Amino acid sequence: MAKKQRGKSASSSKTADIKQQTDHFSLMLESSDDEAPEEVTFEDSKAEALRSMKQALDTARREKEQLKEKRRKRQELFQEQKKRKLLPADVLEEIDSAPSQTQKQCQEDAEEEEQEAEEDEQRKKKRKRSGKLAHARNLKGNYTVQTAKERESASFQQQAAEDFLQSRMYGPGSCRTTSNELLSLQNKTGRNKSAAVQFVKKDWACNEKAKAEKLKKRWVHKQQIPSC
Amino acid sequence: MGEFKVHRVRFFDYMPTAIRAMAFNSRTERLALARADGALEIFNFADNYFQEKVIPGQDGRAVEALCWVGQRLFSAGLNGEITEYDLENLRPRYTVEAYGGPIWTISSNSQGTLLAVGCEDGTVKMFEILEERIQFQRNLDRQKGRIISLSWHPSGTLIAAGMMDMIRIFDAETGRATHRLLVERGVGASKSKEVVVWSIVFLSDHTIVSGDSAGKVQIWDGVTGTLVRTQLVTKWDVLALSVSNDESSLVAGTSEGTVVQFQFISSTVGQQDKEWVRTRTFKNHSHDVRALAHTETAVVSGGMDTQLVVRPLLDKVEKNTQESALRKMTLPHRSLVCCAKKAGLLLFQFPDHLELWRLGESDGHGEVLKQKDHICCSALSPCGGWLAYSTVTSFRLYRLQNNNISITKVSKLPKDLRSAHQLCFSPDSSKLFASSSHSSVIVVALNQPECKYLHTLKPKSGSRQPVHLLFASEDGKWLATANTDCEIHVYNLDKLKLHCTVPVYSSCPTAIAIHPTTSNLVAVHADQQIFEFSLVQKEYTEWSRKLQKQGLHSLWLERDTPITHVAFNPQNPAHIILHDTFMFCIIDQSLPLPEAKTPFYNQMTLRSLPEPQRIIHSHAFKICKNFQHLMCVSLLEDHSLVVVERPLLNIMSQLPAPVRQKKFAT
Repeated sequence: MAKKQRGKSASSSKTADIKQQTDHFSLMLESSDDEAPEEVTFEDSKAEALRSMKQALDTARREKEQLKEKRRKRQELFQEQKKRKLLPADVLEEIDSAPSQTQKQCQEDAEEEEQEAEEDEQRKKKRKRSGKLAHARNLKGNYTVQTAKERESASFQQQAAEDFLQSRMYGPGSCRTTSNELLSLQNKTGRNKSAAVQFVKKDWACNEKAKAEKLKKRWVHKQQIPSC
Repeated sequence: MGEFKVHRVRFFDYMPTAIRAMAFNSRTERLALARADGALEIFNFADNYFQEKVIPGQDGRAVEALCWVGQRLFSAGLNGEITEYDLENLRPRYTVEAYGGPIWTISSNSQGTLLAVGCEDGTVKMFEILEERIQFQRNLDRQKGRIISLSWHPSGTLIAAGMMDMIRIFDAETGRATHRLLVERGVGASKSKEVVVWSIVFLSDHTIVSGDSAGKVQIWDGVTGTLVRTQLVTKWDVLALSVSNDESSLVAGTSEGTVVQFQFISSTVGQQDKEWVRTRTFKNHSHDVRALAHTETAVVSGGMDTQLVVRPLLDKVEKNTQESALRKMTLPHRSLVCCAKKAGLLLFQFPDHLELWRLGESDGHGEVLKQKDHICCSALSPCGGWLAYSTVTSFRLYRLQNNNISITKVSKLPKDLRSAHQLCFSPDSSKLFASSSHSSVIVVALNQPECKYLHTLKPKSGSRQPVHLLFASEDGKWLATANTDCEIHVYNLDKLKLHCTVPVYSSCPTAIAIHPTTSNLVAVHADQQIFEFSLVQKEYTEWSRKLQKQGLHSLWLERDTPITHVAFNPQNPAHIILHDTFMFCIIDQSLPLPEAKTPFYNQMTLRSLPEPQRIIHSHAFKICKNFQHLMCVSLLEDHSLVVVERPLLNIMSQLPAPVRQKKFAT
């Protein structure tokens, strides 16, 4: 009972309750038939509606998951095909035999050791530059292997993480106000009351102001045309 | 006393950045602070909380967490990299990709052998800490959500990880997740949002304390995996937790700006059953508190309002002493403004660009330098003809001509000049001094249009710490340098070798200067002591000995911001002009020193006294508090004073959004 999905737990318990209630009612009605039939049908239909909605949601979810699975499998297939196309079998073997991250890390370290002779900054720059090529190995001098994940995706992930942080702290439901308000409150409750910090709201009605500017320019231009 | 024409400058739009993470090293008493722009600062808590070192930031290095391992400092960020810093050369030593996506947290075990990082992809990655680097060891069991916070059990066998909606306990040896503790979501509208366990602490008695985004601090039994206690601390998020070394006190930082303390005490005196009881609440911040550190005697907090606050706990220190005072660090402990005395130019140093202004005019030049690395230090020659700045990896020199309308870059720079911690031009603008690795200083001759390497000055002590202060004397004969090992060396520039070393004082120097006529070196230290050393005789001056014997006034010693600049008055050789964030002071060496009992800030009262009485009561320290917060006070050649202020209100009005608190009658 406890491990149901949180979002659904509320509604499912509700349907369970209602189901019990309707069962109760229908049993009772069979015995006496001067009960208002509306109540029962309402409960019933409500239960029906909820059940069908739940079913619909379930099927939708299942379908989505199935689609996701299909898409993932297809993507994997394509990736494999691509790899097979780019590289001969023995290289693929080498890659396959070293799929774990440990290996990648050790490669990094190996590269690092090779470059021990170089200076500090140059080493850093090289590793930074070879951030693109760090996933590249020269095998038998003729081929270069590159993993599918590029540097761009790394910054995309960083952006996504920053967005998550931003939305948790400043997103909807975070109940925030402006620094200006905070300072106004301090001013209001302080001992020496003075002018507000941001006395004039500079960005007030900026759209309207921009429109007014454009209209003004157009009007001036129109006035000039008959004169010339 | 003297009247000065004052240029009051308020257009330096310096904006400090939010504090993102901090870590306290109790053995060396250093606090490492990471800011949102990637800059790292080291504060020496044993030396009056002086900001010893600053490592400039970098675009894209979004540091999320810091960790000390012995003397080594590691950081991890959203760019997926773990960085180790070289604190002697003030730069990152190397970075290691963790390949787990953005990293949210980093923590080392108490033995200092393993480093665990929590990644976006749900893995906790273990790295072995080796002599010169770290090496990936293995992943713990991969989880289905991101790992936001981590804490090692002091024995090093278990790790507690805070994730979304739950806490996982891992066995560090096998890597298996043993327990799952489910965290309740918030009430009302926040029931649909996942609760984020922002911070977690694993105590030695297997108690786990967690702070989450629903505003709760929860105490769990780590052995059975059950909830022991819940305390709703705030309506917003609990963003940070920190526990003291003896595990008797815990602090939680919230989005409201409050820091709540919990103590492990028994609810009735004398009884044995102890539990975590909420005791104090500190409201020292206006914005979210994102980083906390609990030292032996104080609670250190920092957050979005960019101020570092140290709140000593009154049950650990004596009340009403200097020790127990609240400390707030707002502005940096070094000068970001360079004033070209002869040309009347000001150079403002921002993290990613420099601004050049001419006094008397309202518009200036802004140079925007699109660089990933932030600026470390900058300098302007007194004649206004040369401009130099340095980042962690590069160094640039520019020639200013036609009243700085044209700026041309000097392309051929000497090879040795790669990056500097501090820059200084000689007063006749013929030489540039750049502090380089291990307390050495590179001397470069400036002949237009190019510059030539002259010499490297090295101290005999072989210190590996960087030089953070440089001063060249007016007559071009001496160069004084100070490093973070508290050493002050003076070099003879005619012979290009070491002249003398000032006896080492236990506190770090914060400002040094050489008098133009008497060639006395004035040094002010982080504990507010002032020394005057005669370079010709190689000993402390008479005035300095008198000052030491009498001792400085207690109000001078109680100031909590360091002196960042020392200047002299050409019209009156007995004057020394100093300033810190809240005042500037003119010390008149010809007047008697203040007694301990005399009122220290007596400028206002003196003005109202008649002339003969004034002479009796005046003492050497003349303090002016009209201008705040001071970023630089400098004397120009035409004997006018330049005062660069940055009012705190201007900084506060540009901070990000704080939480909205409904207060009665507002």
